[in-house]
Amino acid sequence: MEKKKLTIALTGNPNSGKTTVFNNLTGTRQRVGNWPGVTVEKKEGNLNYKDYSIKVVDLPGVYSLTAYSLDEIIARNYIVDEKPGVVVDVVDASNLERNLYLTVQLLEMQTNLVISLNMMDVAESKEYRIDVSELSRLLGAPVVPMVAARNQGTQELLQTVIDVAEGSIRVKGINLNYGHVVEEEIEKLEKLISGSALADGYSPRWLAVKLLEEDKEIEKKIGHA
Amino acid sequence: MSDGEIINTRNDSLAHLRRIHGDDAETMIADARYGFISGLMQDVLEKPSVAKVTMTDRIDRLMLNRWLGIPLFLVILFGVFQFTFTVSTPLIDWISRGMDWLAEQAAVISPAWLGSLLSDGVIGGVGAVLTFIPIIFLLYIAMSILEDTGYLARAAFVMDRLMHRLGLHGRSFVTLMLGFGCSVAAIMSSRTIENPKDRLATILVTPLMSCGGRLPIYVLLAAAFFTAHQGLVVFGMYAIGVILAILLAWLFRKKLLSGESGHFVMELPPYRLPTITGVLAHAWEHGKAFLIRAGTLIFGAVVIIWFLNYFNVLDNIGRAIAPVFSTAGFGQWQAAVALIFGVLAKETVVGTFGTLFPATEGTAGFGAVLGTELGWTPLIAFAFMAMVLLYIPCVATLGIIRKETGSWKWTFFAFGYTLVLGWLVATLIYQIGSLFA
Repeated sequence: MEKKKLTIALTGNPNSGKTTVFNNLTGTRQRVGNWPGVTVEKKEGNLNYKDYSIKVVDLPGVYSLTAYSLDEIIARNYIVDEKPGVVVDVVDASNLERNLYLTVQLLEMQTNLVISLNMMDVAESKEYRIDVSELSRLLGAPVVPMVAARNQGTQELLQTVIDVAEGSIRVKGINLNYGHVVEEEIEKLEKLISGSALADGYSPRWLAVKLLEEDKEIEKKIGHA
Repeated sequence: MSDGEIINTRNDSLAHLRRIHGDDAETMIADARYGFISGLMQDVLEKPSVAKVTMTDRIDRLMLNRWLGIPLFLVILFGVFQFTFTVSTPLIDWISRGMDWLAEQAAVISPAWLGSLLSDGVIGGVGAVLTFIPIIFLLYIAMSILEDTGYLARAAFVMDRLMHRLGLHGRSFVTLMLGFGCSVAAIMSSRTIENPKDRLATILVTPLMSCGGRLPIYVLLAAAFFTAHQGLVVFGMYAIGVILAILLAWLFRKKLLSGESGHFVMELPPYRLPTITGVLAHAWEHGKAFLIRAGTLIFGAVVIIWFLNYFNVLDNIGRAIAPVFSTAGFGQWQAAVALIFGVLAKETVVGTFGTLFPATEGTAGFGAVLGTELGWTPLIAFAFMAMVLLYIPCVATLGIIRKETGSWKWTFFAFGYTLVLGWLVATLIYQIGSLFA
């Protein structure tokens, strides 16, 4: 039987163990190339799981998805333009607060997000107690606790990815409120954007937020639209 | 709807928000995210009431100390340096004697020209470079340990305040530190620098850091001319590189690339005990590149040098350029030739001398030949080391500069300014030093 194809993108902060998760998932079946037009390394790998043939794309490690560095632009453009089936965000459980900044931005983009809550052992050694189900509820996305360094949680992660891809787990995401003053401006812009050619394939609300952040990449898009 | 209208509305919104809030929309949006996260953290995370003081915290109290941070960094660097130097010196000498023996065996091969090609050219040239394998590997091992333990990030952190005053930031310093290994890898690492002008300035000065390829020439000359203070002299070369890199980055940032410096958070990963396999794999990656260069590029270069020398053309080439360097004391044609071929890879400078002066009596004997044959004094040797450090980045580095900046203009700029700087510094060292001699 023909296997179903699925592409997942792996993202996360530097030092979150993203590369270890990537290695656990794909083993030796990796290819290294370059992102088009730039010399930033692009790693891809393949694996088969149940009746899926899964391609894993390792995005550059970033703290944020603003358009400040080349790495951030590459990661964001890939998610926005290539629309991978599922995005896996590797989060360092022992530095949860800082890592969640990226997670929140991924959720703002309304991605099909699965959170890999990695380094649970380090969090435990610091005597942190994380309420995983509450975290998952508040973020509106599945959270899989893992210790990638000991290859723990890989199967659970894969199963959750498949569940999300098939729709048996729905990623509700968050409805971040930017405060009423900002929200009024977002609303104005959203209306204008919805009526323009730009709205194709992008969430108007996300575009409005990015425009208010004076995001150079999005401004460029408007220039060309 | 026209897109111009969207941008106009956006600009009105920004102005409006700034008026009533006094803040950028960007800041307000980021604050909303942080607010969401900190609220969420209250619900999901329970920390021990007394935060556990980790080993990392304890080490950082010392390493990141306001007053001790930079001195400790210098002490660690000097320690790394003494270690690689002391451990490798006897090994290098053994290999050097082995190469001499090999050259003697090859010299008797007939016909005579082939014997000379193998003995003086190949073994003299490539062998001279291969002799330095121990120190190159030890340096890469030491660099890997600094990187894998997490200390490199601390070094950048303690330098951050100083760097900021110069209009740069700590992340540029990570790139510079990696330049102690290899400029190519270091320049590739610069892409984590967010601000494009900071990044360009950092790329331009990274070749001023003493990479592994420069070590052979330092070791060779230090052993021959500075017997008592070898470590100190080589450390001095490293220091000259760092100081000039920081000063020039500041100058470029101010004069050529003016503008605000980027804002960012400096990541401090926890200290980790590096694994032996990790460190060795890391060192091997770099060491392998050195071996491959010796077997291909440098091999090719020394064969060409030998032939040009055999047919008596090499000295003419050298003599055409040599006078330029007479202000720095090394105006001999052999030195000029070594510098020309050194652009291929800096260790070729050693390979060239190896071919031109068939060596005897280990590394000290090899270096001493430069004293007897070229009339070099310790002062000239020191000026020459500075020249090798600073002048024209090797071709691989120029290639990566072209690739990362996407501009021939900046690549030529890097080529030109380093050449002028090298000549200037070498000349100053020689002229000022001569006043005291």
